[in-house]
Amino acid sequence: MITTRDKILSAVEKPTRYTGGELNAVMKNPAEVDVRFGFCFADTYEIAMSHLGLKILYHDLNDRSDTYCERVFAPWTDMEAEMKKHGMRLFALETGDEVTHFDMLGFTLQYELSYSNIVNMLNLAEIPVRARERDESYPIVCGGGPCAYNAEPVADIFDFLMLGEGEDMINEVVDEYVKWKKSGKQSKRDYLEAIAKIEGVYVPSFYDVEYNEDNTVKSITPNNPNAKPRIRKRIMTDFNTAYTPETIVVPFGEVVHDRVMLEVMRGCLRGCRFCQAGYIYRPLRERKPERLLSTAEKLLSCSGYDEISLSSLSTSDFSGLRELTDGLLGITEEKKIGLSLPSLRIDNFSLELMEKVQKVRKTGITFAPEAGTQRLRDVINKNISEEDIVKSTALLFRGGWTNVKLYFMIGLPTETMEDVHGIADLAQKVLDVYFDIPKEERAKQINITVSTSSFVPKPFTAFQWAEQDTREMLIAKQNELKGAIKSKRIRYNWHDNKTSYLEGVFARGDRRLCEVIIKAVENGCKFDGWGENFDFDTWMKTFDELGIDPDFYTARERSYDEVLPWEHIDIGVTKEFLMRENEKAKQAVTTPNCRQQCAGCGIRSFGTGVCYE
Amino acid sequence: MSNYVLKYSRDDRVKYISHLDFVRLFHRTIRRSGMNFVFSQGFNPHPIMTVAQPLSVGVTSDCEYMKVGFDGEYSEQEIIETINNAFPPGYKILAAKHVEGKEIDITRIDRAVYTAEFEYEGNAEPEKLLLYDELKVMKKSKSGLKESDIRPYIYSIEKTADENGIAVIRMCIAIGSVYNLKPQSVIDAMEKYLDNFKAGFMTVHRNLMTIGDKELL
Repeated sequence: MITTRDKILSAVEKPTRYTGGELNAVMKNPAEVDVRFGFCFADTYEIAMSHLGLKILYHDLNDRSDTYCERVFAPWTDMEAEMKKHGMRLFALETGDEVTHFDMLGFTLQYELSYSNIVNMLNLAEIPVRARERDESYPIVCGGGPCAYNAEPVADIFDFLMLGEGEDMINEVVDEYVKWKKSGKQSKRDYLEAIAKIEGVYVPSFYDVEYNEDNTVKSITPNNPNAKPRIRKRIMTDFNTAYTPETIVVPFGEVVHDRVMLEVMRGCLRGCRFCQAGYIYRPLRERKPERLLSTAEKLLSCSGYDEISLSSLSTSDFSGLRELTDGLLGITEEKKIGLSLPSLRIDNFSLELMEKVQKVRKTGITFAPEAGTQRLRDVINKNISEEDIVKSTALLFRGGWTNVKLYFMIGLPTETMEDVHGIADLAQKVLDVYFDIPKEERAKQINITVSTSSFVPKPFTAFQWAEQDTREMLIAKQNELKGAIKSKRIRYNWHDNKTSYLEGVFARGDRRLCEVIIKAVENGCKFDGWGENFDFDTWMKTFDELGIDPDFYTARERSYDEVLPWEHIDIGVTKEFLMRENEKAKQAVTTPNCRQQCAGCGIRSFGTGVCYE
Repeated sequence: MSNYVLKYSRDDRVKYISHLDFVRLFHRTIRRSGMNFVFSQGFNPHPIMTVAQPLSVGVTSDCEYMKVGFDGEYSEQEIIETINNAFPPGYKILAAKHVEGKEIDITRIDRAVYTAEFEYEGNAEPEKLLLYDELKVMKKSKSGLKESDIRPYIYSIEKTADENGIAVIRMCIAIGSVYNLKPQSVIDAMEKYLDNFKAGFMTVHRNLMTIGDKELL
């Protein structure tokens, strides 16, 4: 039979992005549930299906018999054109049904550059974009994920946001939804008032934001008796036993992280001052190797994957690493399953471990010194010394590795051209390490890749008050570095500074940006994270059209008494601690990690994790 | 090691999976099944398998063949059941046979029967193609787009339905290493040689693959 679906799918690239039906995808009868939930990821299938949070919440929700959670991703531009041609709206992967009248749509806010795609997806679903324009017949639109901590630039779009870890919270808001639906869905306000009391839930429309004449925020005030003055994030206090899926959807086509991901811990104890994840996911909490091994076995056997990777912000800090890797190797060696250990730190890097897991392939390895000089590494509290780097790379080269990637940021606070030169010097030193090894003891070839990305100050970090380098300055630094790298064996890659600029605007943006985002999508912007689609000029024109100066958000240092747009959000780490860290950064003084000495960040108040080891 | 030839089908749900993705999917299926398979050498050890005449994206079939090696003996019924339990919905093993050497050589498959359903304008009279001595159409080959006479490789063709501007035809054509013909080329020939015929959107199903006129399993 000839169908419209076939006509559409035959005309697009990678049609399996849109067909659903993968192994372990959950199939339910929509007529038998109370809640149809669309888990939305505002990027392509390959990116979305690599996201651990989706895997967790998808199965968490589908374990409820009253809820059917389906996946909803951004169609690539070719698919969007086909959908428009055939009058097809945004659809969910499992059933292929339009999401326009689902009960709830939950977007995960992973990166600022996906904001335009959120608007575009709502447009494709023919759902009014602004929360206030949606009546009870439309889905409740909610959001979560790292960018939800300062989702002010998209606050007008969302009925509510969930701050922190969603495993429990999402069930609580769905419970309330079921009650509200069964009571006849009188007014959306009733539902929002009911969930506003749940810890971690933020209803943007229940807060009024006033601005000063200089455009800074004057005040953020609750306008509803159910709204908490400050919204505190939620975490799983017993992370070891917290929900984790024992099944995994296996994509037909290749996705970015096409393997079993085993989340060994959440949070990080390092306290790198630029790193938002390092602060917002505190405190560090671990899972026991025993539970992880049992989860790993189930995930491997239900998926047939031939690769498993440990997931965390800093795998070397996982205290059960030896026990876990020994146990995993017991499973993987026999079955020829690859084990990968990303996020290993250079300082306690263990060649033995690398040898163990990389029995077959000795390909590339990436280190992230982040900054070229010790002074600047101390500023950002990246507690790695040059000696660590030299020692580790010497071991690597002797062990037969041939490709080393060194990852840095440029534009860090207090950075000078001397620090930029430090990057080239460090790469040269690594190359010298190689040549210092006798020929017969080292691999034949050597490739060193230096990559730089541009630093973007993020909310809830020690650098949340910092001025972001201008694009001109970043280009000057990139050029300086290009000139400073002399050897042909060192390759230099740098990140486009236009996307970093836009990311910087939204990262510390306020509610006035929402209209810019909606307008930019009208003007054609979408998939901003994809070079071939990113249209910087249209963004700039849109800012101009609406009379908003994007430099306001990037090109100034904020004072400590300025009311920040995210002032009403409480991540558990105190503002006072972040100020102290910022002051220490200015003096290049480091802070020990959580296991060495408590720095008093405030997260102890959650009563769990590394603070109580 | 023991070798088996498997006959399997794929339906609408999984027809957009490319050949390479199917190979990875099958590797995972075998791992999931828990059967002991023979690993290939190399950087990415994977189960050894050979697929005969990979299906094009978008085509369904109930006559696919592959050869796979297991470590140990399994009964044919056991293989069918175990793999079917591990397959994602849409693929199904129809038959399995333990083979020695080249007892059944899937690389010798040389003809296939397809059902093509297509929208068209004008008159759809595929049987008329058989009246021609040669049918020269542009056809993809390893060395690029080339003109080729496909007439000797069309063994039969008949229209089985024709309603509301949608026709269904069944054709037996050459496949394999000697000469590989795709249903699209036959439709191209119809457009070129027949009067008043313009094809539109088409879907294809593979019904049968044989060596000569002999079925493999």
